[in-house]
Amino acid sequence: MTATATAADSTGSTWGARRPLLLLAGLVALATVMVASVGVGAHFIGPATALHALSGSGDPNDVALVRDIRLPRGALAIGVGAALAVSGVLVQVLSRNPLGEPGVLGVTSGAGFAISVGSGLGLTVNALGELLAAVVGAVAAAALVAAVGRRSPLRMLLAGMALSSVLTGLTLGMRLISPTVFDKYRFWSIGSLAGREQAPNTMPLLVIAVAVAAALLLSRQLAAVALGEAVAHTLGVNVTRVRLVTLVLITALAGAATAIAGPILFVGLIVPHLVRRAADGSVPWLIGFAAVLGPVLLLAADTAARVLLTTGEVPVAIVTAFLGGPALIWAVRRYGVAQP
Amino acid sequence: MPVSTRSPSARFRIVGALALAAALAAGCGSSDAGAGGDAGPTRKFVADNGTITIPAKPKRVVATGYAVPALLDSGAPLVGISTWQRGLPMMGAAERERYDEISKVAGESAAETNYNAIAKADPDLIVIGVPKPALADINMKRLESIAPVVTLGPSVPKAWRELSRRQADAAGALKGFDATRTAYELKAKQLAEKYKSVLPKLKLGHVGAYGEVAKGTFQREFHGSWGTNVAQDMGANYYGAVKVEGKGSRSVSEYPSIEELPDAFAEADAITYSLKADGSVPPPVQSVLDSPLWKNLPAVKAGKVFPLRYTEAATYREAEMTLDAADKAFAPLLK
Repeated sequence: MTATATAADSTGSTWGARRPLLLLAGLVALATVMVASVGVGAHFIGPATALHALSGSGDPNDVALVRDIRLPRGALAIGVGAALAVSGVLVQVLSRNPLGEPGVLGVTSGAGFAISVGSGLGLTVNALGELLAAVVGAVAAAALVAAVGRRSPLRMLLAGMALSSVLTGLTLGMRLISPTVFDKYRFWSIGSLAGREQAPNTMPLLVIAVAVAAALLLSRQLAAVALGEAVAHTLGVNVTRVRLVTLVLITALAGAATAIAGPILFVGLIVPHLVRRAADGSVPWLIGFAAVLGPVLLLAADTAARVLLTTGEVPVAIVTAFLGGPALIWAVRRYGVAQP
Repeated sequence: MPVSTRSPSARFRIVGALALAAALAAGCGSSDAGAGGDAGPTRKFVADNGTITIPAKPKRVVATGYAVPALLDSGAPLVGISTWQRGLPMMGAAERERYDEISKVAGESAAETNYNAIAKADPDLIVIGVPKPALADINMKRLESIAPVVTLGPSVPKAWRELSRRQADAAGALKGFDATRTAYELKAKQLAEKYKSVLPKLKLGHVGAYGEVAKGTFQREFHGSWGTNVAQDMGANYYGAVKVEGKGSRSVSEYPSIEELPDAFAEADAITYSLKADGSVPPPVQSVLDSPLWKNLPAVKAGKVFPLRYTEAATYREAEMTLDAADKAFAPLLK
């Protein structure tokens, strides 16, 4: 976030005046994609049938499909999309690095490592065990990275990348040694929402909701920190506390999202860039837009993933990676020579 | 031009080492030079890799892949095998003891073949039991320089019967093979008789262990697949066929979206599903069992769901275990 952009926010630019309308448009887009996601899949359900099924009447299979599979899956996409996008914003603002995303803090590799260790020890026998292992791994990795890199954002990113490499190597080693670990990891490692609606997801979704709300509450102080420590101190902001709370929020959001759906790359990277212009330098609006556009993107990708191939679904992480590659190139071209 | 700084004695050592290596290579390159040096009578054997001249009575056999359980069960004279983790839960005490004793010359995949270990085992016959695509990972010329090589890999799942017979035949172990086959066929006949009033009348469907949870698919197996072929020998009748026929196991199984469960099993009177050899439910099967759509299936509502163990049986001895497990699973049908 730049001082110029913040100034533009305070003086009221064209984008600034349109922000409420843009947010409303985002919410309408989210509702539209949600309706589409209820109908689209291997078994197509028309709008009228979907409405009947929602009320619990009609073919029992349609009712089960709509109420027990597609709606919960849509809710997961909204939660995971919001978590990844908002944590992406927090990482980029905190580190002042436009290429930052939750994975660079070691959260994803920490979750993968913990699941591998858990399956090797026979602890991740069900979805709950898998979920707990992912959360523990994500939190432990983020805590370690935060401890090593607490003094500077750059050191934190480097520590995150180093830890990710080490954990990825260890996980690979375990997969090669143990068929059980390999078996478990290969199902988890492809980020997907298929079948995840049957897992006990209430707690991680609650964590995401609370963390997004907390991020919004913290956003003004975070904007001050993004302007530099000296400015933040002048504005009366406790920089250390804001950084710590932001790290906790990033860990909670990315950890919960990874625990639910496995590693889904690029959403945390792309969405902040897509909404940056509309936010017009305002961190609260950046977080607000990300919390809406992240779910739109993930829900649309998940819906498309169901019908892209005639041979079956494509894991949503592959769709987001397919979109994310070009987006990353775009980001590099845009920010390669100038800081955001 | 760089000038060598090595001493004359160092040069002699290098030349000596090269000469020794050349002599060893020459030894490895002749199939007549090892323990099987006196090859004895030979015969022509038709394998996947052509007509191969092999010893009429092999004395030192190396086996990899699916040839491992087949030749262990047939009592072939094995001197080296690949590891076969997936078959361990289906090994009896005697087979396991023998498996542990025999030197391991390759890992689980064809790419993990240890050529030096095979040469050291000094075989007079090598039986490769891996699928055709995996043969690309094997240096056949190097193996053929050690001993005659016959490749006999799996094609469609139910073909394990003929495949294991050919592998046993190549290794000169048909006598042991015939004994296990006879025992299996007798048991299958007895069970077919036991269930003749119920099993053939049921339209069965099968959920296999190889669906992909992340892709939201399940595996449906038809006649002649891993999960169904042994149960068929006791009279089970699996209905339907794949929508788009592929090669190998794809000709008898398919991977529809889990949302298609109601269509896939709408006509099924009963459904069987694969368990792991230890009796636990594989994750892809568990995701089907947890699906709300599963609970709506007529067969599930009627309580006609039967878990099957040992569906990966690839020898007659292993298949006997499958028969026993199926007998236990189908027992409620007789009440």
